Amino acid sequence: MTTTVEMESIYKKILDRRTANRDLPPYRAALSSEITDLLAGFFKKEKPGATVSGVRRVGGGASKEQFFFTLSEAGQDEQYLLRMDPRIAITETDREREHILLQAMDGVVPVPKTAWVDPNAEFFPQSAAIMHVVDGVTKPSDAGVKVTGLGTWLGEDLRAKLRDQFLDYLVAIHAFDWRSANLPTFEAPDADPKQAARWSFNYWREIWRLDEGETRPIMALAEQWLANNMPDCDDLCLTHGDYRTGNYLFEEDTGRITALLDWELARIGDFHEDLGWVLMQIFGTIENGTFRASDLFEREEFIREYEKRSGRTVNRKTLHYYDILSSWKAYIIVGANGPAAARSQHNHQDVLLTFLSTTIPMFADDLVRLLGQEEPQ
Amino acid sequence: MTPNTHERINSVVRALSEVVLPHLPPEASLAQEQVHLCIGHLKILGAQLDAIPGYEREELDDAIAIAKALSGISGGSETQAAQTALAASVDAADGSDVRAQRQAINIAVETLVHATSADGDEQSKTALTAIILEYEHARAQKDRAWFAPFGFDTL
Repeated sequence: MTTTVEMESIYKKILDRRTANRDLPPYRAALSSEITDLLAGFFKKEKPGATVSGVRRVGGGASKEQFFFTLSEAGQDEQYLLRMDPRIAITETDREREHILLQAMDGVVPVPKTAWVDPNAEFFPQSAAIMHVVDGVTKPSDAGVKVTGLGTWLGEDLRAKLRDQFLDYLVAIHAFDWRSANLPTFEAPDADPKQAARWSFNYWREIWRLDEGETRPIMALAEQWLANNMPDCDDLCLTHGDYRTGNYLFEEDTGRITALLDWELARIGDFHEDLGWVLMQIFGTIENGTFRASDLFEREEFIREYEKRSGRTVNRKTLHYYDILSSWKAYIIVGANGPAAARSQHNHQDVLLTFLSTTIPMFADDLVRLLGQEEPQ
Repeated sequence: MTPNTHERINSVVRALSEVVLPHLPPEASLAQEQVHLCIGHLKILGAQLDAIPGYEREELDDAIAIAKALSGISGGSETQAAQTALAASVDAADGSDVRAQRQAINIAVETLVHATSADGDEQSKTALTAIILEYEHARAQKDRAWFAPFGFDTL
């Protein structure tokens, strides 16, 4: 049954889909040969005469099933990426919405280009998108030489090359004129100043309940605090939703960012929500006791530079709210969404999802630390 | 006599490491990743196996401790009803089913948190936050240490 809780319409549909998919039979990882057959059938209709070859699975990632392949036509080879939802994912999102946004952001910031999309799984077993391949890596090849932390360690040289681009692109996303853009399914939370925070909070609380997250006192306290302290937002902007090192591609030799990835959680909302996510300790590194967000900026340095480059003022009280929301949301993702997908056997990498769920105590501890801080004024 | 559980786990780890993994073709990236995760997971489970009952019993004891610490939280009818339910969940926690009993107490604490926000005394609201932060800080440290072998934590 569709939730009656107030949130963006697309997220109600996503919750409905997640509920409906729970009753489906178990899902298993697709074989490359099956994907080859699927793609061959798809292109027989879309591009008669084109041939598919070299289908190979892309490693890494905790959310989508992804395959590289070559499409050959009239003596020309082109590399593509098939990005397909599992039956239930650790983050449940919408392929068409992502496709719409990637088209809108093309030319604004570097993004992968979508070639085809099958949003309602009319052809592929689950909703899917086919993208042009972009060169680049998400982490340096010597990332094993990590200092500490879950985040990717970039090292001094890459850090110097990447940090300005990272911040400038975030500023550009937040400056994007979404009101003039054609963004069907994107709704603006402009009914009242608290609607941006409320929509986000409501969605994550609903999916926490839907996925039967096992509560504990700190999660209950955080939920109540977030419900009682929603900030106003009078400067709605496009937010990326998962902006951090690991979610962009870069050339290892030059340090040039070639594409910003994983736009699936993007929405119209409060820019502080992106800042809170970027600044999460778990996505950063700690070297000699110094924390660096995404291994690029120290916290205060990031806030100062963001203000300078965006012309916006970071409201410390609002940022505190989104710091807490970020840790609460991350707890829900690894502690409820991932385990629910694994429990229902509706994902292609259950063992990774249960492995990731062992990070729960880190987010619980983050919430203790943040809720124990004196609230900024 | 039953076969030794540690030996059984170790034999599975060895089969995955030395028989299955080397025979996976290089292009089977997902299979390779997942075999590595299985090996890691099994090794940690094996190392923690004997301590798991004690760990789970301690989780229940900590849930009982926080529930008792919250027993002084007072307020209107909603808070009072939540306190009654919390006390009942503690009374029922005899250790016969540590996971279900811990979960029942945590659900009752959650109800108390929401009830206190609705009609709790002002002093109680402050006290509830302080108690939860104190007890959950201690619990989170134990949990972080327990899961540290998975390699994500920097504790």
